[in-house]
Amino acid sequence: MAENNAVNGIVLDEASLTLEEFARACAVERQWVVERVESGMLGDGSHYVSQWRFTSRDLTRARRLRQMEYDFDAEPELAALVADLFEEVDHLRKRLRAAGIDTN
Amino acid sequence: MEFKDYYQILGVDKAASIPDIKKAYRKLARKYHPDISKEPDAALRMQEINEAKTVLTDPEKRAAYDQLGERYHAGQDFRPPPDWDAGFEYSGGGFEEFDLGEFSDFFANLFGHGGRTRSRAHHAYQMRGGDRHARIFVDLSDAFHGATRSVTLHVPQTDAQGYVSLQEHNLKVRIPKGIKEGQHIRLAGQGHPGIGGGEPGDLYLEVHFTPSPDYRVEGKDVFATLRVAPWEAALGAAIDVPTPSGQVHLKIPKGSQGGRKLRLKGRGIPGAEPGDLYFVLEVVLPPANTDKARQLYEAMARDMPFNPRQTR
Repeated sequence: MAENNAVNGIVLDEASLTLEEFARACAVERQWVVERVESGMLGDGSHYVSQWRFTSRDLTRARRLRQMEYDFDAEPELAALVADLFEEVDHLRKRLRAAGIDTN
Repeated sequence: MEFKDYYQILGVDKAASIPDIKKAYRKLARKYHPDISKEPDAALRMQEINEAKTVLTDPEKRAAYDQLGERYHAGQDFRPPPDWDAGFEYSGGGFEEFDLGEFSDFFANLFGHGGRTRSRAHHAYQMRGGDRHARIFVDLSDAFHGATRSVTLHVPQTDAQGYVSLQEHNLKVRIPKGIKEGQHIRLAGQGHPGIGGGEPGDLYLEVHFTPSPDYRVEGKDVFATLRVAPWEAALGAAIDVPTPSGQVHLKIPKGSQGGRKLRLKGRGIPGAEPGDLYFVLEVVLPPANTDKARQLYEAMARDMPFNPRQTR
């Protein structure tokens, strides 16, 4: 395979996203993110908006929150609760797989 | 291209109210939600019901679709007549508001109407293209050595008549060494094209490992089952075993039991703080299928005071 015309990307977590980049990647307004960080549904709970940085995990979570809110007209708190449960299920499934137990 | 009956997809009748459509949508979205559904065609069904809801809950799109739908039924071969939506105005504009890669050709043709985006371009209107998201499956060995992988994206393209269809676009992407499950690779400028000379958006690839019969992964740690003979476990042994980073000479401590974990520090997924590789021992009994093997088992039964129900 020709290696020279392959596209190089940046791995999130090694370089994390700013608030603006993050909002754009989730296709939401900046304020949507701010509200969810301030109410503890997203991010690391830091108080300083200018220092907010978002990781792969945040991106997966925020897109899931947005989808829940959009698909089911869910209250943000309810969407966050569902996202918490999904994350817990993902985590348990990974542990089961690591233990050699098929989850399907 | 086949005509899609959005009412049939959602299981509602043509007079259904928006709340009824939303209700039907939610019921199906619960059933086919990609995070929980075990239905084999969940992703495709979710795409269809998303599309159906997008059209039928928007009064403008629904009115235009209804006018068209009078002449077609589900599965019928379909090509939108020219100016099929003349007389209907969309407040939302053209396809820039959707990630068309997540919709069907049918939808792209109807609502990703090129004529509208062209007419918008007459205004001094400039907008950055939207970001796109896709999942990519890579082998675990790619995380150890790095690799180049092809990704196929469906990109909306407008033909000379202004019709939009989804074309396959192949992109070669470098998978960096040390990538972990669930991480995103951000590819600048590979998202949706900008409008009116605006910059293109970015593409985010969410990385997953192709399930492997040999290895399981948890975060940056890798797990493998290592099958050993009873005497290797009991007496100890040094054996050559393959690992994702190459063969290693591994010492099995004497007195090992099945289920014992042997940790190879730093042999998991590479990185500034590399993960560990764990071998979980599985003791495999040789079959007693020859006279000699049977004699050996009989000798053990006779000479070794051992009751497995009284150990541990």
